[in-house]
Amino acid sequence: MKKRILSAILAGTMIVSAAACGDTQGQAPAGNENKEPAVSNVTNEPVTQNTFEGDGSEIEGGSSEELVDGKFTETRHITVEVYDRGNDGGSDPTNNMYTDYIKKGMLEDHNVEVEFVAVPRWTEVEEINNLLAAGTAPDICLTYDYPTIQTYADMGGVTDLQDLVVDNKNDLPHLWDWLGTTNMYWDKSVQDGTLWAIEGKRANNNRIVTFVRKDWLDTLGMEEPTTKEEFYNMLCAFRDNADTLLGADASKMVPFGLSEDVGWRAALLIESCMDPNITDKEFYVNGFDDRKYTENGTKDAARILNQWYNEKLIMEGFALTESADEDSMMKAGYVGAFMHNWDYPFRNGEDSINANLQRLVGENAKFVAVDCFEASNGEYIKYCDSTAGDRKIFFPTTNDEPLASLLYLDWISDPVHIEYLQVGDEGVTHNVLPDGAYTFMAATGDAIMNSGQNIDMTITCNGLHLSTEELTLKSLANNYPPCDPADVARANEVACNGKKPTKNAKITAVEAETGKGESLAEKRNQAWALSVVAPVDQFDAVWDENMANYLSAGGQDIIDERTEKWEAQYGSSETLE
Amino acid sequence: MEENKNPEVEVKEAEAVTAAEPAGKAAKKERPAKKEYVPKTARGIYFKRYWQLYAMLLLPIIYFIVFKYSPMYYVLIAFKKYSIVQSVSEMPWAKNHGFEYFIKAFKDKDFIYALRNTVFLNLLDILVGFPIPIIFALILNELRFKYFKKTVQTIAYMPHFLSWVIIYGLALQLFAPSTGLINLLLTKMDLESVHFLDEGKNWVKTYIGLGIWQSFGWNSIIYLAAITGISPELYEAASVDGANRFQKMWHITLPGIRPTIVVLLVLALGNIVSSNFDRPFALQNNLVMKNAEVISTYVYKNGIKGLQFSLTTAVGLFQSVVNVIFLLLANWFSRKMGERGIV
Repeated sequence: MKKRILSAILAGTMIVSAAACGDTQGQAPAGNENKEPAVSNVTNEPVTQNTFEGDGSEIEGGSSEELVDGKFTETRHITVEVYDRGNDGGSDPTNNMYTDYIKKGMLEDHNVEVEFVAVPRWTEVEEINNLLAAGTAPDICLTYDYPTIQTYADMGGVTDLQDLVVDNKNDLPHLWDWLGTTNMYWDKSVQDGTLWAIEGKRANNNRIVTFVRKDWLDTLGMEEPTTKEEFYNMLCAFRDNADTLLGADASKMVPFGLSEDVGWRAALLIESCMDPNITDKEFYVNGFDDRKYTENGTKDAARILNQWYNEKLIMEGFALTESADEDSMMKAGYVGAFMHNWDYPFRNGEDSINANLQRLVGENAKFVAVDCFEASNGEYIKYCDSTAGDRKIFFPTTNDEPLASLLYLDWISDPVHIEYLQVGDEGVTHNVLPDGAYTFMAATGDAIMNSGQNIDMTITCNGLHLSTEELTLKSLANNYPPCDPADVARANEVACNGKKPTKNAKITAVEAETGKGESLAEKRNQAWALSVVAPVDQFDAVWDENMANYLSAGGQDIIDERTEKWEAQYGSSETLE
Repeated sequence: MEENKNPEVEVKEAEAVTAAEPAGKAAKKERPAKKEYVPKTARGIYFKRYWQLYAMLLLPIIYFIVFKYSPMYYVLIAFKKYSIVQSVSEMPWAKNHGFEYFIKAFKDKDFIYALRNTVFLNLLDILVGFPIPIIFALILNELRFKYFKKTVQTIAYMPHFLSWVIIYGLALQLFAPSTGLINLLLTKMDLESVHFLDEGKNWVKTYIGLGIWQSFGWNSIIYLAAITGISPELYEAASVDGANRFQKMWHITLPGIRPTIVVLLVLALGNIVSSNFDRPFALQNNLVMKNAEVISTYVYKNGIKGLQFSLTTAVGLFQSVVNVIFLLLANWFSRKMGERGIV
């Protein structure tokens, strides 16, 4: 009897819970008509090459019948991802002067209600993964990480944009104008014509620059370094003169700042050790790692870093140092030189590194850009991205307003709107100089931009983009108050010297990369860090062991597949036109 | 409910329950005891009399079904090719009769390292960390000054409430290579600085040490409770016989808490291939991953960040199966040794 009752209860609850589970399974991917994962029915024949590049005018497109004068007859609602950078004293990323401007404009122009969803910038990949997996991702998602999109596309979680952007082309003039075919179709598959993501455009593709403490050089009577050799001598001078430069804090001297991400924070040194005449093929084959770990010549760079470390030019605990801690050390004035984004010491207004240095250390204390990592041919090569390769915009299949979402992207790409979002209101965020250039001022409250040039608001545009190029250049240097515009202009100049943009090999899906990005990146960081701290006599062994590990953990598979795919597409040719 | 049992058994029973015995089990054991009151003639009478007790059982049973048993259905993901838009039953089976991901895991060097590290760190934890709360409890028990005893106990278990992120922050301040307090002291004394956190072997020591520091106070509570359950008469008798303190500790206190020790050891062994996530994750860094990657962080990096849900479900399933095997083995062993065991 008891047994029977118990089992009846058990069975009953089992049914209830099973039914509950069944329900959620059916509902989770709401709005997804295509339950089969990622089988495209567009075409299986390779799409012709000439549709991949251009300014957009060469593509014939249609317009939607849903719209009357560009407006929906009924109000639509979309959600848009916006990065939350967690800045000290920043504005609310989902509700500020600029979001209001967008919301108002979208409602007036297209009858679309916009709601912003904050995603933490520094954990964006994990966060967007969680949102996608839960079926609650915003209608318009963006990420820097294409493999994430590819993975979800393979699982059927991402909308194919190909037909959408063509069929509605005439309703999206600004979007096509601004991005052009190049960025619109950057990620389009040559094999099946699917388009999982649109590439936001870099108005400025400056990448990384070396900064040194100008005032330290002056104190020691040294010139700015122009070669690797001189840079090394400068670091030694910093180390040997710590007492002069830092006084009581001499023990805190860090001649060269490095963080746990060695591949990034020593990128110019590493890249200067690569073969300057590297073929497009080799560059593509090893291009899956944006820290260029497997490229030829990187071992030499690691050896140099290893030497620096063992000569105490690099802080002992760098592998334990997170970038925020490191920023504090730069701001406090303990760091002599470092490599980072071309505008890094100028970012964040009053809280920027240079502004802090001036407050805490002295009037003359500041970091200035130098150009001193020459390749074997004497050039100062800066490998940088093309106009694409920045933020990728995609719609999860839970987006049931694809047209309204595209209209949003179009609205945000209108040059007038970009300009307003980047410069704000006169007297609040900027003033106009007699020659027309904007000078920017530190804003307060709702008018604070949480990101440089407000790039979080202009998701199709990264970098200052004003009505004319001249105005843009003139204004750019004034964009980092209270930092000296001359320093910014100099950094921009250095960053542009010897630029070598990435070319699009148009081979999108590499299967061996699926799910490997994060774990390989971590392995690479570990390998770099371990090679740097190895005792000099063990350097070779450590480097080789870690490289072998990395390759066997999936790196080699990717290299092989990339080689194979390159050869399938371009035969024996080693270059792209 | 145990009025017919002698006090010694009662102590054991109470301990067994503290050791997280499933609710259902406790009820089953009760039954024969209850039966003695009921005339064997009618089960109906019995049920009528005690139905409230069964009604009370209902909630825990539902809890276990909803939160523990029905999620087990999703273990199937380990044998299927995961898709975000399909339900588990719709997903296609993985290759190799569904064992594709198990094979993949065992071919993955990183997983083997993670497995090795997990077992190694857990064994060290048991080897070094298990006796310490027992010794601490014994020492505390010998203290006569009550307030001092209470204060020490409270201070000792406070770290249990700190999150590992905070502990790592403290560790960084103390042990960082050139800026940590201890290394500053060492270098001031003209000694070599020690890489507590960024050198593999030292990291293991730091990891174990911090773990013990964080948990020994808390873990000793159960032993202290068990010690208070030992009859004072035994101590009095021993005193009469001329036993000294150490002898009393050895011959009365320790045997008195032996069942507790065994139960906790069995539970610890049952977790030999699993580790909590935050402790290794907070303490890891790029230089020590060879020693620091454990299964839980491996699953996080490859499963959640790398989106390989099937692979990591397979790893999780493997982990659970090994844990159960270890639990049963340890339990069998403890029975062999003449203890009660918990399963």
